[in-house]
Amino acid sequence: MTDPREQPPGNRDLRPGTDPCYKCGTCDASCPVADVDEDFPGPKFQGPEQWRLTRGSDRDVDPSIMACSNCMRCDGACPASVPLSQLHNTARGQYVTNQQSAFSRPAIRNRLLANYRRGAALAARFPRLANAVANNRLLRWAMDRGLGITADRELPTFATQTFRSWWEDRGGADASRERAARNCEDDPPVVAYFHGCYTNYHTVEVGKALVGLYESFGYAVTVPPQACSGTPMFANGRLDDAKREHERTLAGFRDAIADGAPILTSCTSCSMALRQEHPELFDLAGIDELAGNTWDALEYLRVHEDLADRLAAATPEESSTYVYHAPCHARNQGLARQARELLADVSGVTVTDVGDSCSGISGTYGWKAEHYGHSMAIGEPMFEHMETAPGDTGLTECPTCAMQMEHGTGYEVEHPIVVVADVLGCGLADGAYEITERSG
Amino acid sequence: MPVHTDVLVIGGGSTGCGLARDLARRGVDVVLLERGHLTQGTTGRMHGLLHSGARYADTDPESARACIAENRILKRIAAHCIEPTGGLFVSLPDDDPSYVEEKRDACAACGIPTTVLTGAEARERAPYLTPAAEAAIAVPDAAIDPFRLCVANALDAIDHGARIEPHTEVVSIRREGGAVTGVAARQARGPGDRGRAPTYSQGPVRGDLVQYRADIVVNATGAWAGQLAAMAGLELNVRPSKGAMTVMNVRQVDTVVNRCRPKGDADIIVPHETTAILGTTDEEVMDPDAFDEQPAAVDRLIDELAALVPILAQARSIRSFWGVRPLYEPPARRTTDPTDISRAAHLIDHGHRDGLDGFLSIVGGKFTTYRQMAEETADLVCEQLSVDATCDTAEAALPGSEDPERLDDGMDRFGLRSPVARRSQQRLGDRTQAVLDGKAVNPAVCTCEGVTRAEVRDAIASCGADLNAVRIRTRATMGTCQGAFCAFAVGNDLHPAHDETTATAALDELLDERWKGERHALWGQHLAQAMLGYAIRGATYDWYGDDEPDWTAFAGGATDGD
Amino acid sequence: MAIEDDVLVIGGGLAGMTAALAAAAAGSSVRVVSKAESSLGHASGLLDVLGRIDGELVSDPYRAIARVDTDHPYAMLGTDRVRQAMDWFDGILGDAYTGDSHTNALVPTIAGTVTPTARYPRTMAAGLASDDRSTLLVDIDRMPAVDAPLAAARLEAAGVPFSVRGASITMPGLATDITRSHFARLVDRNETIADEPIRDQLAAAIASVHDGEARIGFPAVLGLEQPAVVIDYLSAALDADVFELPTDPPSVPGERLTRLLEAALDDAGVRMTAGVPIVDVNAADGRVRDVRGTHANTSVPYRADQYILATGGLVGGGVVADRSTVHEPLFGCHVSQPADRADWYADTPAGPHAFPRFGVHTDHEMRPLEADGMPTFVNLRAAGAVIGGADFPAQHAGSGISIATGWHAGRRAAEAIDR
Repeated sequence: MTDPREQPPGNRDLRPGTDPCYKCGTCDASCPVADVDEDFPGPKFQGPEQWRLTRGSDRDVDPSIMACSNCMRCDGACPASVPLSQLHNTARGQYVTNQQSAFSRPAIRNRLLANYRRGAALAARFPRLANAVANNRLLRWAMDRGLGITADRELPTFATQTFRSWWEDRGGADASRERAARNCEDDPPVVAYFHGCYTNYHTVEVGKALVGLYESFGYAVTVPPQACSGTPMFANGRLDDAKREHERTLAGFRDAIADGAPILTSCTSCSMALRQEHPELFDLAGIDELAGNTWDALEYLRVHEDLADRLAAATPEESSTYVYHAPCHARNQGLARQARELLADVSGVTVTDVGDSCSGISGTYGWKAEHYGHSMAIGEPMFEHMETAPGDTGLTECPTCAMQMEHGTGYEVEHPIVVVADVLGCGLADGAYEITERSG
Repeated sequence: MPVHTDVLVIGGGSTGCGLARDLARRGVDVVLLERGHLTQGTTGRMHGLLHSGARYADTDPESARACIAENRILKRIAAHCIEPTGGLFVSLPDDDPSYVEEKRDACAACGIPTTVLTGAEARERAPYLTPAAEAAIAVPDAAIDPFRLCVANALDAIDHGARIEPHTEVVSIRREGGAVTGVAARQARGPGDRGRAPTYSQGPVRGDLVQYRADIVVNATGAWAGQLAAMAGLELNVRPSKGAMTVMNVRQVDTVVNRCRPKGDADIIVPHETTAILGTTDEEVMDPDAFDEQPAAVDRLIDELAALVPILAQARSIRSFWGVRPLYEPPARRTTDPTDISRAAHLIDHGHRDGLDGFLSIVGGKFTTYRQMAEETADLVCEQLSVDATCDTAEAALPGSEDPERLDDGMDRFGLRSPVARRSQQRLGDRTQAVLDGKAVNPAVCTCEGVTRAEVRDAIASCGADLNAVRIRTRATMGTCQGAFCAFAVGNDLHPAHDETTATAALDELLDERWKGERHALWGQHLAQAMLGYAIRGATYDWYGDDEPDWTAFAGGATDGD
Repeated sequence: MAIEDDVLVIGGGLAGMTAALAAAAAGSSVRVVSKAESSLGHASGLLDVLGRIDGELVSDPYRAIARVDTDHPYAMLGTDRVRQAMDWFDGILGDAYTGDSHTNALVPTIAGTVTPTARYPRTMAAGLASDDRSTLLVDIDRMPAVDAPLAAARLEAAGVPFSVRGASITMPGLATDITRSHFARLVDRNETIADEPIRDQLAAAIASVHDGEARIGFPAVLGLEQPAVVIDYLSAALDADVFELPTDPPSVPGERLTRLLEAALDDAGVRMTAGVPIVDVNAADGRVRDVRGTHANTSVPYRADQYILATGGLVGGGVVADRSTVHEPLFGCHVSQPADRADWYADTPAGPHAFPRFGVHTDHEMRPLEADGMPTFVNLRAAGAVIGGADFPAQHAGSGISIATGWHAGRRAAEAIDR
């Protein structure tokens, strides 16, 4: 069988992938965008129908593909396992390559948003300046009018020290092995952490918590060189950019892949990209191995260690109450209920799930001026649920969902890894490098 | 009152419709009778290949030359029915490599342009072709929609004064002295005015036996020609041969793919509209209306053709159908293997052959050369009627293909998604604007094929309450779901122009027809589809229930009247 | 290590959710793992038990159970268990559903037919065909699957005991190809469409075609969250009893039922993991030890003491066929079948077909049996459409089979747990 991934990206034939579709429309019923955007025809049209209707050189893609937020709810809803994300990502890539002028305003804006990492890398060198400039009103007004990046959102704050810089200062992999060895009878097994951009530049505490947590279970953490997961690039049809980034990541993780080390993520969109989206689209050396070894950080411990038991036995000093939102990308990975299940047994911790609503931001989607209204309309049920649920701290795995939760409710939002690490007393608060010895 | 005309054409396939068009354009008064809907016989049951002639170049150069000539003509006059896909003859390791050159040389001798490709070059044109392909010859084969072509011929014939009478079955042939002078036919089976669209006929009432009188009756019934001739008391050695074809859910190839070997079954894949059709087998049958349809033939097509395009082995089929070739063999020859019977056309003047004047039979031949067969027949008809008019069907474009420049104009106006607009335009040709423009609420009725309500209603206006006729005009219900979701929606558009009884009977007829092919695809993904459709019709709609219940016995949970 | 529970239910449809609720009610820790979000939205939302037997419409579903074939799942359960399961399930449904234990109802559908069912959403209650009040059916011009005038004409032709008329309305503010779920959500939120709240606009549009009929039927799109509120509002505005007509998929009442059951599962403490197809089984000594799910290329182990196979039938993927054989793909349970594919189907769409009956066969404990009559695994039970022997669309028995087999399998699994 010819692998469509070997075909030229601008002219791939994914029609055979539409074979499983039996037209039930479950995908359309699950689509948050179709719910609020009258002009969006829904995933069944974007995927199986549009693909099947192409013939020969009639490969023009309906422009509405750009209004898909790539939340991938349809992928998780489809009872027939139609590869919707592959169909959508490829169609979007073909639209951008073949039909969108590279110098049009949306193209320039989307390129900028998709390649956020580059700007962030620069800004992170001067975090205080960047934070001051980022929310300058005049600049934001110009970004909105000039580029179509909404001025209604607050740009995320840059951490004063990036995660990688903290990691290096701390002594890198050697230091981690040393610490892990204290909690491990033999040579500590090695895990490789794909932190992603957001943890590196903004929510550094998530990375620190992960390191502390894993070391407490006796794992030596490594943090290989890495690039963007590709998530924002897929959503903006920039497949060449995504491929370029992933080639860098694969090079950085070469040893981890060769050793079969578990690859951990703390962002469910990063794990979705590594596990599913990249292997669906590209045929690169090591891509399937990396995908097969990638785990959500809590999921790995849950399956391989006695995380659930330790959580059940934990006795946190303070009680806490969270309203949890499951990111759409967590759903497709079977992770939608993981955080609440794990925390359900912890005494003093209350988690209310806000249900199956989508936050509406979907990474870059909610940053686009023309979609900001849709994004907030999609998020409305989540905001309402959050406000009626007990507690005023949000909880989610996805950094942009967190951004939306904060934006819509003003709540602080935590990451489950941070909560778990705190509950188990192995978190690494800023500046604190102490490791709690594993008991028993 | 008998209906009088100069010429009666019996058979609404490609030859009959082409002949009606040709005669009408020459000013001859013509009526065409078809027992079902147009194309219901062999024309609607073929793989949709417009031959380049390459297939016959080495064995039957005369047919090959005719094919390439007609191939060029049809690409001109029927552009909206044809997709210029090109074709490949692909040589696999098991095939004799010297045959590639033989085929190429034979094509050259017949004037068929070819390009010899390496296996890798062939795979650029057909990415799912097997990596084992060693070489291929590219030829100007094309894909053609036989339904649209026939309907366009019929439309043009009507525009030139012909009458086309579908659902009109000849029951006897009238002989007077040494001549055929007409037929008796039964019109419009079924309820209401189904199949009796106002544009086609203001004729008699349904169910009536109608007498037709004509100077000449032409038997253009293809595989059924022997049966019709028998009504006139004549023997005609038609040897119908069945061929199985399997329809895949998607196009695995965008070019015709033939196996490059001298002779064989199950050796062609034709991209057809949104599908790919696998063909075919060749087996003689006694009765073109009654023969077995065996799953083994479907398995054979898939297994054999998976050697050319391996993903076929796992791909979803949505139906299979069997066509009956109208093979004809002059008496005296007694070919045993039907694949050896010539595909040549034979025009038989029964006055000359049997001493029965006013009766012609056109048999044998191929779909690709239908126009030429029609032309030769019309020439003879005109000669016998002393009509002095020349044929212009090779030059005059068919309705829908008359103004190709208009095709790409302003699709945005119709407010349709681009693939739906594109497909609508590909089906409607230069009628697109007339059909779609100004239709305010125009939802897609059949989402698999991108057919909108406006197109369905346009088809209903031209062919009445015959949903199979609507289907062949629009492709509605011919896609992935095979009508599981859309058949009811398509049927809804019959109402209120047609009454409930008619609309419901027409829907049942469509569902029956869909099942006839779909039942041959009941494994894998399509079995799930078929089960879902069956569950909707059964569990949700109780569509098959026809009882008259004691209503009061079914008041479970009713709150009123307690 | 594996993710561990007492009972692992594989499949999140009606049977799987019912089995999980039954097992949890019996005190087990239960997980439902499903390959995707529940596709119960396929279903019309009607809950039938037995509507036809040998083609004949039956009024009392329980009495008709005596007439099913010996390999039918109801024959395996017996009438009493089916009744107990339905009675128990009524408690879960609460006010959302109605119906009578011993009498089927005939519910009008968007196709202009009436369909027999034992339970139906309360939103459909005013529409029963046994009710002789005059009726107006209404459709929206941009939903091509529904044509109210034709549906009304079909009902009239079927001889329903009430006068019925159909009319189409147009609502200019709506998208041309609006989906049912989108419409339902607009109604839920009472969004403003073309400068008017949609419920008011809908009431006004229906009023313009209403001619004093006592009740008004509309396709089942009147909100996902609080259809009763919408129906009460419209009924008051129109001075007529408004009711819904069941549709083909995607079905809004099916989606409401999904939500209702998911809430019940949450309340019962059942854990749910969606998006993880179970692809691999590890068994030894006639017992399933653990199973592996895969999602997005990573393999995750699940372990339980008892397993319930509720993966659905041909549509759900619990039973699959290639060109020569039919099989149960996960545990490899025996599926009996005609040898020749030509015998899988009848030549007309109405059947009787063999394929709807494809599935596993079980013992009284709901354990799938091998060809030799022995259980495939001692700790594996089956529920729902994966069980063969019933032509559920023809018999209008799909929901009842899922509920009754799910209930029985769930209870038995809970009882069998080795503590």
